[in-house]
Amino acid sequence: MSDVNEPSDVEPDHEHDHHHEGPGYATPQAAIEEGEREELAYVMSLYVGTDVDAPDFVSVVDLDPDSDTYCEIVDRIELPNRGDELHHFGWNACSSSCHMEGLERRHLIVPGQRSSRIHVIDAKDRRNPELETVIEPEEVFEYDLSAPHTVHCIPDGEILISMLGDADGELPGGFLELNDDFEIEGRWEPPGEIEMNYDYWYQPRQNVMVSSEWAAPKTYYPGFDLEDVEAGNYGQRLHFWDWEAGTVEQTIDLGEEGLIPLEVRFLHTPESTHGFVGAALSSNIFHFWRDGESGEYRAEKVIDFESREHDDWDMPVPALPTDILISMDDRYLFGSNWLHGEVWMYDISDPSNPRRADSLSVGGTFGEVQEVQNRELSAGPQMIQLSLDGERLYWTTSLFSSWDEQFYPEEGERGSVMLKADVDPRKGTMELDEDFLVDWGECPEGPARAHEIRWPDGDCTSDVWQ
Amino acid sequence: MVSQRHDVTLEWPDADRETRTIAVDEDETVLEAAERSGIALPFGCRTGACGTCTGRLLEADGAEPTAADDERTVDVDGAFSYRRSPRALKDRHRTAGYVLLCIASPRTDCRLAVGANVHTELVENPWK
Ligand code: FES
Repeated sequence: MSDVNEPSDVEPDHEHDHHHEGPGYATPQAAIEEGEREELAYVMSLYVGTDVDAPDFVSVVDLDPDSDTYCEIVDRIELPNRGDELHHFGWNACSSSCHMEGLERRHLIVPGQRSSRIHVIDAKDRRNPELETVIEPEEVFEYDLSAPHTVHCIPDGEILISMLGDADGELPGGFLELNDDFEIEGRWEPPGEIEMNYDYWYQPRQNVMVSSEWAAPKTYYPGFDLEDVEAGNYGQRLHFWDWEAGTVEQTIDLGEEGLIPLEVRFLHTPESTHGFVGAALSSNIFHFWRDGESGEYRAEKVIDFESREHDDWDMPVPALPTDILISMDDRYLFGSNWLHGEVWMYDISDPSNPRRADSLSVGGTFGEVQEVQNRELSAGPQMIQLSLDGERLYWTTSLFSSWDEQFYPEEGERGSVMLKADVDPRKGTMELDEDFLVDWGECPEGPARAHEIRWPDGDCTSDVWQ
Repeated sequence: MVSQRHDVTLEWPDADRETRTIAVDEDETVLEAAERSGIALPFGCRTGACGTCTGRLLEADGAEPTAADDERTVDVDGAFSYRRSPRALKDRHRTAGYVLLCIASPRTDCRLAVGANVHTELVENPWK
């Protein structure tokens, strides 16, 4: 079923002021002003890789402090198969389609990282979404792609998914395009533009897309092996694409300080050519921007997290910043250092000189807070999500089932948690909200892991402006 | 043509689960046979890329692997035939007796360690 109710011949209107017909908000500022406080979250929840005989599921979490079921998982959308490893997901439409009359932000596209199966969930009823369609792995493999990762809607109602491997779980990866009836349209790019793939973000007004690199699925799926680092099997490059043509225009090798560049974000302002990427293994954050004179992109390391000594570890423990996001007003960069156990915020008013604003030491290997409401935290902060107004930061604790097992084996036994900090954007401070705790350790079939978080009406890691 | 069947015994180390023996056809995988028998084994990709389904060979055709000098009397590659290449396993894993149950079919009676814990043996925390 299509979410486009009537065909629209309307030309994209870049001014948007008088022409906001579709889903989302006309500008990032409108999202801040018109967006309501998040009352629900959708959270990827998983059993893959455990002996629990149950499929992964999508949790609907109640975030309304006035509700009787605040901090509870109020609905679970169970998927038909085991073995998916739900990871990242996205909407069929976001603010980039706000000129598309009749298009609704209604369907969640939920891929299985391990299975390569793609689920389409109808979330018209925000509290009780329903599974609508399933694209089976064999259909995906026909395009010689596997391991779906980042889902973005693209402005004409279509959906683009970064795919990390070929049908066999080897390189190269690529991009799979779905049409607005949620059928595979084909490959988005001419095959062979890139080898490794991971996350991507696009800035349509600048006709640019940026993509990052993890590794071949067969490399990262079983777990993290230093041998693979030495063999050069992990990524360290950023690719800058011609968005219209679907071709790579420029590749930047970040070098050893840029190993495993994961989440990549442009600023929300559609004119901006500045962005950030977190190099997880090297524990650095890079700023990238387009050089006005040459028209080429540049990248520079702007934040460096030092490894820390720990009595129980043989070698200094890297921070492992695994997720970053930019507040809707483009003022702050938030991130999570999964191994150290830290969430942090930097003021990026001057993107080339981020200034540390605040951090919280919670969970992980060094966190000062190791339990909330007597619930032991078994891993560090990982996937983060911020309210549209920038006043509440939420996070979950699972990275990837096989990597969790290596670094935080207790997480599989106790399950993940979701935590929250209250943020004061004026002062640039964060405070852990100890009244807030969502516990995946209490799921009926057994403890589950929790990964990416989305709000029903747009969020800081999925909305893009045309 | 009737294909041959082999008895495959599944054991869950460190878990309170009963050992089960299932008959596996030479043209089906251990994972498929387990599913047919209503036994849940972990899996992910089902294409040999992710290692989620990893089992470890304990005994094949009555011969137990001996740990002496890392020499094993059980030939894993002789005990199983793979439908496609087992990409998730490195050479060191294969010689240590690990098997990807989503793509492996037995060629002899055998005993396997199975369950999520086996997969976690493949890689350890490199900093610890
Ligand atoms: S299920 Fe992925 S290798 Fe067997």
